Amino acid sequence: MVQTVTLTIDGVPVKAARGTSVLDAALEVGICIPHLCHVPFLKDTGACRLCIVENVRNGSSRVTTSCTLTVQEGMNIQTNTEKIRTLRRNIAELLVAQAPNSKAIQDIAVRCGVKEVRYPFRNENCVQCGRCVRYCTEMWRADAIGFVGRGKNRHVEFPFGVRPEFCKNCGSCTLYCPMSVTPCGGPMKRGEERLCGQCESQAVNAPDVIGACVRCQLGTGFSCTRHIL
Amino acid sequence: MRRLNHSSELENYRRELLEERKGGATTIIIPNGTCCQAAGSPAVIKALLQEIARQGVDKNVQVHLTGCHGFCEQEPMILFEPGNVIYCRVTPGDARDIVARTVKEGEILERLLYTDPVTGKKAKTETEIPFYQAQDRQLLQYNKWVDPRSIKDYIAIGGYRALVKTLDSISPKTVIEEVRSSGLRGRGGGGFPTGRKWAEARSATGDEKYVICNADEGDPGAYMDRCLLEANPHLVIEGMMIGAWAVGASKGYIYVRNEYPLAVQHARLAVKQARELGLLGDNILGSSFFFDIEVARGGGAFVCGESTALMASLEGKVGEPRPKDIHTVKEGLWNRPSVLNNVETWANVPSIILNGSGWFASKGTKGSKGTKIFALTGQVKNTGLVEIAMGTTLNDIVFRIGGGPKDGKAIKAVQTGGPSGGCLPVSKFDLPVDFDSLYEAGSMMGSGGMVVMDEGTCMVDVAKYFLKFLQDESCGKCVPCRIGVDRMLEIVTDITEGRGTREQISLLEELADTVRETSLCGLGKTAPNPVLSTLRYFAEEYFAHVDEKKCPAGVCRELIHYDILDEKCTGCGVCLKACPHGAIRGEKKKVHVIESQLCLKCGICVTECKFDAIAVG
Repeated sequence: MVQTVTLTIDGVPVKAARGTSVLDAALEVGICIPHLCHVPFLKDTGACRLCIVENVRNGSSRVTTSCTLTVQEGMNIQTNTEKIRTLRRNIAELLVAQAPNSKAIQDIAVRCGVKEVRYPFRNENCVQCGRCVRYCTEMWRADAIGFVGRGKNRHVEFPFGVRPEFCKNCGSCTLYCPMSVTPCGGPMKRGEERLCGQCESQAVNAPDVIGACVRCQLGTGFSCTRHIL
Repeated sequence: MRRLNHSSELENYRRELLEERKGGATTIIIPNGTCCQAAGSPAVIKALLQEIARQGVDKNVQVHLTGCHGFCEQEPMILFEPGNVIYCRVTPGDARDIVARTVKEGEILERLLYTDPVTGKKAKTETEIPFYQAQDRQLLQYNKWVDPRSIKDYIAIGGYRALVKTLDSISPKTVIEEVRSSGLRGRGGGGFPTGRKWAEARSATGDEKYVICNADEGDPGAYMDRCLLEANPHLVIEGMMIGAWAVGASKGYIYVRNEYPLAVQHARLAVKQARELGLLGDNILGSSFFFDIEVARGGGAFVCGESTALMASLEGKVGEPRPKDIHTVKEGLWNRPSVLNNVETWANVPSIILNGSGWFASKGTKGSKGTKIFALTGQVKNTGLVEIAMGTTLNDIVFRIGGGPKDGKAIKAVQTGGPSGGCLPVSKFDLPVDFDSLYEAGSMMGSGGMVVMDEGTCMVDVAKYFLKFLQDESCGKCVPCRIGVDRMLEIVTDITEGRGTREQISLLEELADTVRETSLCGLGKTAPNPVLSTLRYFAEEYFAHVDEKKCPAGVCRELIHYDILDEKCTGCGVCLKACPHGAIRGEKKKVHVIESQLCLKCGICVTECKFDAIAVG
C-alpha cells in the first residue's frame, strides 16, 4: 500500500505519496507551479529554478525549488506569495531574454507575469534546461549527449563533438526541447525579438487572476503535467 | 621504517627522537613554501649550503627547511635558533656574510634585520616584530619547527598525542561532545558548527562513512589552507583521524587543487609516512581502529570547493553542485554519510582534544570561538598570513598587524571572504571579526582572504572584477547563477564604461537579490555579495559613474582622461618617450600635450613623470 503524507500547499491540505516531490504533489491536485527543466519520471536537478516555493517552518520561510523538495508530513508550502512571484518573474525574464524564440519560454514568461524585458535580447538556441540530456541518459541509457564546458561555455554536445554510434536516433532530445516550438508568429530575427504579447493567453494574465493557466507549450513531446485542466 | 604497534610506543619513539636531537648546534630555519620559493628561497638555500660546506661549518649547523611562516612580505627569511634572530629579504649574495659572521662569530648583521615600516625601528628577533606580536598563533606556531617532509619533526613537537589520547581514553561520543562544546565552527566560510555536523554524521546510517578535507581553496588572494597543508600536513591528518574515529569513518580524502603542487606532494608524502609508521591503515597503534587517507587532486574549478560539487568531482563526475535538500552528512560521497571540513577546521581538532574544549572556547567571541587565519593582502605595509583570535577588530588587523597603508594613500575599504564576501568601508573597521558580525555587515568571513584597498581603487571596478571571476567560475548549471551573474556583469560593465543609467542600478539590485535567493549552491547564493556590499557602502561611487560619467578613483578607462598640467610640466620629454601609443607631443623644455584621440589611458606616463605633472580627471 502506498504510504501517504499530508501537507499544506497554499493553504490547501494535500495528500501525497511518500517520496514524491512537492512539485509533483502540487501538479497532481491542479496547483500550477511554473517549471521548465522538470520532466515527469526523470530525476530532478533543480536547474531552471522556476519552480521555487516558500517552505514555511517555525515561522520562518526558506526559498527552495519544489522539484527537489520531498514531501514531508505537516509541511507548509506557499507557491504564490509576493516574494516568490517577484523572484520567479525575474528568473523568467532572464530566460526569455536569453531565448525569446521558444513558445514554451514565452508562455512561461507570460505565466510568471513578465511585462517587459529589461535586458538586451540574446536570441540563443539553448537555455540548458538539460531535458534532452537527462532524457537521453536516464530514459534511454544512451548517454549520447551531455554537458560540456563550464559557466558561459557550458553547452550540450555529443561526445567529442561527433554523433556516436550508440545514439539511438530516437529524437527524444528534439521532442523534449523547449525550443522546438517557436512563438506563434514564427522565429524572430536578431534585433526583432520581443516579448510575446499577441496571443490570447495574455488575457488571463491580469494582475487579479494570479497563477491562471496560459496553456504552456513545453515542446511537442510534452504538454502540461497538470492532470486536471 | 619501524612500525608502532601500541600507543605507548609512540611516546617512546618521541623520547628517542628528542634524545637524538639534543645538543647545542645552531639551527638555521629557512621557510621554503610556495610563496617563499616565489620570493627566491631556493637560490638562497643553495648559496647558503654551498657556503656552509666551503667554510667548513657543516658540523656545527643544521639547515632546516620548513613551510611558510606567514610573513610573506619579508621573504626569503632566515631564522636562527637558539637566539630567535631573524633576517629578512635575504639574497644569495648575503650567504657568505651570514656564514662567516653570524654562524661563526655570532655577530648580527644589521642590514638584514627587519625594519618596522611604521616606526623605523630594527627588530633583532622574531618576537620583537610587531606583525607577530599582535597575533595569536595557535596553528601557525608549529610551522617553524616542522619540516613538512618529515614525520619525525611532527612527532618530536608532540604530534599525534591527541590521537593517542583519543584512542586510549575518549569515546567517539565524548569527542563529538568536546568539539561541540568548544564551539568550533567550519573555517571554510559557512561557519556551520563542526560538532553538530559530526553528531549528525555519526547518527546517520550507512555501511561506510567518509571524512573529507576540503583543500580546494580558490578565492583570489587567499592561501591559508595551502600554507597549512604545505607546512604541516600531519596536523591536518591527525585532525581527520580524530574526526574519523568520532563519526565512525574508515576512509578519508584530502581534496587538494592541482594548482598547489607542493601541497599535493607534501600531503601524499605525509600520508605515506604515516602509513609506514602504522598511524594509518589497519589496527592503528594496536587498537581496533582502521582508517586510511587518499589524496585527490582537483581539476582547477572554483566551484569544486562547494561541498556537493567536490563530492561529485571525487566520484569522477563533472564538478557540479546538487540541491542540498538532503544533507551531505546523510547522503554525501557515493550516497554515503560524509563529513566535509576545511583544512583549518581539521587542523584545529588536535589542540581541542589535547587542551580541552574550555581552552578553545576561552578565545574568541560569543558565537565564534578560537583563532582564525587570514591572508592579509593588498595595499598594506605588512602582507602575509595573520592568525588572530576571533573578535579582533578590523582596525587591529589592518593598522596594527598590517602596518597601515602602503603608498601613503588613505585606506578606503577591506574586502573579506573572497568573491563571496563583501567590501567593508573604514567606518566599519571597529567591527569585531567573527562569523556573525561580518555577515550582518553584508560581508562574510569566507575562507579568510582579506584584501585591503586604498583611495586608488574604484569600488565599481572591484565589483566588476569579482563578477568577472564568478562568471568564469560558475558551473553553469542553474539559471540565476549562469545568466544572472552574466547579466549583472553586463550592467556593471555598462556602468564602468559610461553607458549606465539610474534604472540599471535599481535593476542590478533587484537582480542581485534574485540571484542570492534562488541560486542552487552557496557559490551562487553569495555571488551578489560584492555588488550588494559596494552598493550599500559606496553607492555614491556608482552614482558618480552614472550621473556625472566620472570615476572618482580614476580607474575606469572609459570615464577618465589624462591632462598635462602646464605649471608643473618641465618639458623633460620622459613621458613622450615612454608613451607606447605616441599620444604625447611637445618640444624640449616646453609644455607637452596629450592627444586624447590617440591616448589609450594606460597610465604609463603618470608613473614615469617625476614632477606629478599629469593629472587624471
